[in-house]
Order: sequence, then C-alpha cells, then structure tokens
Amino acid sequence: MTVAGATAAALRAPLEADGRDLRIAGGLMLGAGLLLPLLPEGAGLPCPLRTLTGVPCPLCGMTTSVTETLRLDLAEALAANPAGVAAVVAAVAVLAIRPARVRMSASLAYVTLAAMWLFELNRFGFV
Amino acid sequence: MTEPAAPMPPAPPPAGGYMPPSGPSGPRANFGQRLVAAIVDAIIVTAVTWILLLVLAGIGDEGGAIVGYLLAIVFGVAYFAYLEGGPTGQTLGKKVMSIRVIDANTGGPIGYGRGVGRYFARWISSIPCLLGYFWMLWDREKQTWHDKICSCVVVPTDAYPVQ
Repeated sequence: MTVAGATAAALRAPLEADGRDLRIAGGLMLGAGLLLPLLPEGAGLPCPLRTLTGVPCPLCGMTTSVTETLRLDLAEALAANPAGVAAVVAAVAVLAIRPARVRMSASLAYVTLAAMWLFELNRFGFV
Repeated sequence: MTEPAAPMPPAPPPAGGYMPPSGPSGPRANFGQRLVAAIVDAIIVTAVTWILLLVLAGIGDEGGAIVGYLLAIVFGVAYFAYLEGGPTGQTLGKKVMSIRVIDANTGGPIGYGRGVGRYFARWISSIPCLLGYFWMLWDREKQTWHDKICSCVVVPTDAYPVQ
C-alpha cells in the first residue's frame, strides 16, 4: 500500500476509545475544572508551544473553556475554545451512560482538531 | 504461567482500503495506570531535582544553580533511560502500577539508546498542551506520541511478565 493509500485508510478507519479510559480522563477534566477556580490565579499549566514560540496549539483555551462551562458562562467558554463546551458535554455523557467503548470518525476528529487550531490561531491574531 | 506471544503488528487491511475498528494487538496499560505511574515518577524526579538545586544553589553563586539545573536534566534522562531501557522496562512508577515498556515489534526491552530517545520524545508529546499524551485515549494501540516515535508500547506485567 502506498503512503497516500495508508493515510486514506487511516482517515477512514474509525477511532475507538476505551470507555473506562474516557471516564477517568473525563472525570479528571471535570474535577480539575471545578477545582482550578478555587486555586490562586495562574494555577493552570501554560501551553509549552505558546510559551516557547508564541504560537497557540489546538488545545489552548481549553482550561478556560472547561472552567467557564462548568460555571455556566457559555459566552466566555465559547470565546476561549468552543471545544471545551463539547468536551464537558461529552465527559458528562460518558460518566452517565458508561459505554464500554466509544467510536468516532477519524476524519471528523482530525478536521475538528484542525478547526480548533484555526480558531486559536485566529484568536491570537495569526490568521 | 506461559508468557503470551509478543504483540503482533496489525493485520493488513482488507481489499478496498477500509480498516474496521479493532482492539490493540495485545493487552495494553490503561490511561489510569499510566497516569498514576507518571505522577509517581514526576514526584521522584522533582524531589531529587529540588535536592540537587538546594545543595548546589546553596553554594551561593549562579554557577551552582546552573550546574544544579544541568544535573537535574541529566538525572531525568538517566532515570527514564536506565529504567525504561533496561530489561524490566519499568520506572518506579510503572513498577508500582505493574506496567512496563516493551518494543512494539519484538516484545523485548527497548534498550538504553531508545530509552534516551523516549525521554526526549516526551517533550514533543508535551508541547501542544500534552496532546501527545492524550493521544493514547483513542489510538488503536493505545500509544502516545513518544511511544510511536520510539516504536514501543506500555503493557501490563500480568500479561507480559518481567523475565
């Protein structure tokens, strides 16, 4: 198989996540989102990419977005990174429904990641 | 107890290029195990680093602090490279959580050279807000970016016991 063929096949193959792993990650994210506002200002981890180069990464703004979503300030959350709102909804759903496995489209996941990056590049004035 | 065979590379996709979802090619350490192991290792490395810095910075000049930082990096490289590259593939954190690092193709130790490489590949995983670490959540082989770069997997020791 050519590299292009392998890439196309990888993009078509659905991603599959273990439900228990997602519950742990989702629970930690929600816990951190509730705890961080109680800590002193600047207690969150800075983005290494932005610290080193000034360029944001796709996940920049997620801490703010998740904490603001949990405080029900959706305007602030969406302004920081819209994916944070989706991540909170997904985490609550995974904890409530407790699926054994979660499948998602790889293409959709990569497009979402690219869109998140574009959003952050735009937010910081790069595009 | 019979040791299971080394993890096999994924089967080639069927004609047409579509690859249906399937589990990893063998048992893998889960996210929680790897997270706790990483926290234990971080505590150990940070504690030793602070001791080095306190001792050397206590000398009183800037040179002492710089040497302290360099020694801290050297300790970090040595800790992960020696323990993960060795025959067990286990840092202290991984030992606590009963998981180990093995070669993705042979199932054997990754060796000290790749242990050093895996340490620095962690930096790449960390750069975009730890995205390279979270990658294991949806990766078919449950590999982080530094696992992929060094062609290794992290497995539970009950399925892949230390020799």
